[in-house]
Amino acid sequence: MQKAMRTIGVCGVLALTMSNLAVTAMATPATERYLHVKVDDASKGESVNVNLPLSMAAAILPTVNKGTLHNGHVTIGEADFNGVDVRALLDAIRTAPDNEFVTVKEKDQDVRVAKSNGNLIVHVLDKGKDGEKVDVTIPMKVVDALFSAVKNNELDVAAAIRALSDAGDAVLVTVQDATEHVRIWIDSHSASE
Amino acid sequence: MVLLGKVALYIAGTALAGAGLICSEGMIEVKVVEKQPEAHHVYVLAPAMLVPIGMHFVPSRKLGRAATEIHPWMPTIRAALEQLRAGGDITLVDVREPDQHVLVTKDGESVVVDVTDKDETVHVSAPIRAIESTIEQVAAASADPHD
Repeated sequence: MQKAMRTIGVCGVLALTMSNLAVTAMATPATERYLHVKVDDASKGESVNVNLPLSMAAAILPTVNKGTLHNGHVTIGEADFNGVDVRALLDAIRTAPDNEFVTVKEKDQDVRVAKSNGNLIVHVLDKGKDGEKVDVTIPMKVVDALFSAVKNNELDVAAAIRALSDAGDAVLVTVQDATEHVRIWIDSHSASE
Repeated sequence: MVLLGKVALYIAGTALAGAGLICSEGMIEVKVVEKQPEAHHVYVLAPAMLVPIGMHFVPSRKLGRAATEIHPWMPTIRAALEQLRAGGDITLVDVREPDQHVLVTKDGESVVVDVTDKDETVHVSAPIRAIESTIEQVAAASADPHD
């Protein structure tokens, strides 16, 4: 009898603990993610930092209806795709193993497009006098979301922002030239430093 | 004497309640400090609720053009302010130039703008609710047919 009472007591304590944990988990909001943009211009001694909660971007975008942006979608003219079936191309990249897909080496420019660890990577090196270097790393999930719009000539930017919220910390874009450095990244810190 | 005391108590209570109500939306703070030899200091601390109340006295036709321009952006403004209010404190924009520093932050329930340049420093703090009420009133103003 005493053993049974003890068992019931332990089960009760366990149940109480589990329910407390469940309530705590439900009450804790998902960690906010932030989009950071940092531009440094060494020649002018200027710097610009912009920090934006992704939830704010996701809420604002569908409300903007101006120009090519409407309901979180950007309309792109057929000419911008240059006749390339981007969806078919992305589908091929998605199903392909990690690899370097495009490597162009020219006298004044190098371009490299690759897939690595679930990211689409684009490197551009301009060999001009400014020596501009562009690195773009976009998670494939975000690329998929971007091209998830029903219409072929639309990019679903709102869906891409939502996908970014679920992605881990990542540096999305860096642009470096002789004087200027641009960095766009996401993380869970509200400040850019 | 007792009656006089009661009247005084009612007046004081009403004044206190009124002050509490007026300050319920927070305070708007404006501080300007010039760095010139003859420096001027301006400091204004006013209940934020006075701004939307004051907007009632601006003739609707005077706000017509602003209303027309702001109206299409109201869903965006509402969404932005709602998210801003719900979120934590954050530095939204930080611009540094050799002779100027601009900082836009969300601090508590307010949006704070600090500008420091070689001539002066400006600090403006306004509660988000007051900003929202004021913008709503501007948007609600009817357009001036002669504008």
